[in-house]
Amino acid sequence: MSGYLKLSIKNLLRHRTRSALTMLGIAASVGVLFSVLSFNRGFTEGLADELDRTGLHFMVVPSGCAHEVAALVLHGAVIPKFLDTSVMKHLQETDGVAFSTPILVAQLANPEKERIDLIYGVDMQVLSAIKPGWKIEGAIPTQPNEILLGHEVAEHEGIKTGDVFSETADGEPMIVTGIIELTGSQDDAFVYLPIETAQQLLQKPGAATAIGVKVNDPGRMSEITDALTAAVPGIQIVTMGQVMNSISNLAASARALSLAIVLIAILISAVGVMNSILMSVFERTQEIGMMRSVGASRKNIFRIILEETAILSIAGGLLGIVIATLGSKLIEAFVRSVMPFVPSGNLISFDPLLALGSVLFIMVIGIGSGLYPAAKASKINPVEAIKG
Amino acid sequence: MIELNNIEKTYRRGAEDVRALRGVDLMIDKEELVAITGPSGAGKTTLLHILGCLDQPTNGQVLIDSIDTSNLPEFELVKLRREKIGFVFQQFYLIPGLSVFDNIALPLLFSNKEASPEKIKRLAGMVGLEHRLDHVPSQLSGGEMQRTAIARGLVNDPEILLADEPTGNLDSKSSDRIFEILRSLKSAGLTIVMITHNPDLAARAERTIQIKDGAVHTEV
Repeated sequence: MSGYLKLSIKNLLRHRTRSALTMLGIAASVGVLFSVLSFNRGFTEGLADELDRTGLHFMVVPSGCAHEVAALVLHGAVIPKFLDTSVMKHLQETDGVAFSTPILVAQLANPEKERIDLIYGVDMQVLSAIKPGWKIEGAIPTQPNEILLGHEVAEHEGIKTGDVFSETADGEPMIVTGIIELTGSQDDAFVYLPIETAQQLLQKPGAATAIGVKVNDPGRMSEITDALTAAVPGIQIVTMGQVMNSISNLAASARALSLAIVLIAILISAVGVMNSILMSVFERTQEIGMMRSVGASRKNIFRIILEETAILSIAGGLLGIVIATLGSKLIEAFVRSVMPFVPSGNLISFDPLLALGSVLFIMVIGIGSGLYPAAKASKINPVEAIKG
Repeated sequence: MIELNNIEKTYRRGAEDVRALRGVDLMIDKEELVAITGPSGAGKTTLLHILGCLDQPTNGQVLIDSIDTSNLPEFELVKLRREKIGFVFQQFYLIPGLSVFDNIALPLLFSNKEASPEKIKRLAGMVGLEHRLDHVPSQLSGGEMQRTAIARGLVNDPEILLADEPTGNLDSKSSDRIFEILRSLKSAGLTIVMITHNPDLAARAERTIQIKDGAVHTEV
């Protein structure tokens, strides 16, 4: 260990509590910085994965807001507008469309049980294609009176596979054939049923909230969407890329806000570092005077103080990364509980480059905040210092 | 070895100018042990700081080994302090977290020299601290702390050792021991200038210079 490093470490250890508190301040801000950056990365990747997994290239919806469509695609938002599934006819006739599937999402009052069910009508044959991440306990419905429950619904109602959930429009019992394992997303709150059954329950035969479409050649997507828009009035086509952009734009606002808060936290911890080092310089004025007397130059003193700051910053930075990594599950659970849409999968994953970048960033900030105390220390007049 | 010619030192305290030294002329030979005495505020410490190139005179000339230090730039003064001068202070100023070994070796860090264990042990042995090398200052007595500080002052092999009341915080037994160490260092070839309020120690020096009101009052 170099003499300067040893001296700096010993100096920091003289006021263990103060050094530890300063380091914790740095650790907290680096931990949050690392978590926010990792979260952004995890969120974007998770979102892309989730959209990719739907196996759909674009959605046909009634003309409206792209954000609504994004919400629909990703967590089944209820949109109070319906498409006529006769649009399906056009889709099936459109050259280049591999398959299309209608989706009907709505709220359905159940006065008998005093609750409102969120229903998601879909062609059960394509369910595993558009929700490939699901693990289902039981089976996917094959009959009109069979349904699939989201984890939360089943848990809340205390329902098991084989139980009766409610009744169809004809008064037939609706049987639960399967329960989806916890996804941690809005999917847990829905009741999934064949689209025809959903249309009957809502008394909207042939209605759909959206139609998901897969094309044979994604390279021809704009040609296909242009042809469809021209052929069918009153529809809007939103590609998965646009959905991604919509969500990303929403997430970007949250990201900008959280980064601004992180930067303020970092600024506060930098002021903490400066204050701590400055106090230690003032306390050691005589000692610095002695060092100048026994041959230390201004540069030597500057170096000692700056190394102390660097040690505090690096140690705090590393501690912050460790805390953020160990606590990532807690942070993830918190984010899932407060955000309206969160893709499934790991939101915060350890990325060594990001960790290194965060530590380097705080090191630069820390050293920056040590410059003033170091300059102050190096300007201490040895004669005045020794006189006390 | 050391020559002071008509040294004046004036500094500002609040609104007034204080003349700390008024035309001091002094010659100190190589291998001399000189005691500087005088009442508080007489200018002894200011004189010692000028001798040690820590402070510059307002007027006059300071020659150390025939080098005029009065107008040397800061980096040359630092170099001179590292190479030729050792300091010992009344309050010792040891670094609390460092062992006796590391405290003695501290000046070598600034000279970019390796702290050879043999050298540090030899210096510790010279001041009777060879068994205390791993101890930290809080485990030492006042006399041991001052002996550590003397060893630290010697680690760069200086030609001059300047001591500002080195026995000021010590009992008479420890003071005697410190003085004996200084005397043996003088015999080994060092020039020693020591400020003291202790008349017994001053009487045992080869020469005693009394400073009063910023000027040399008597020389014995």
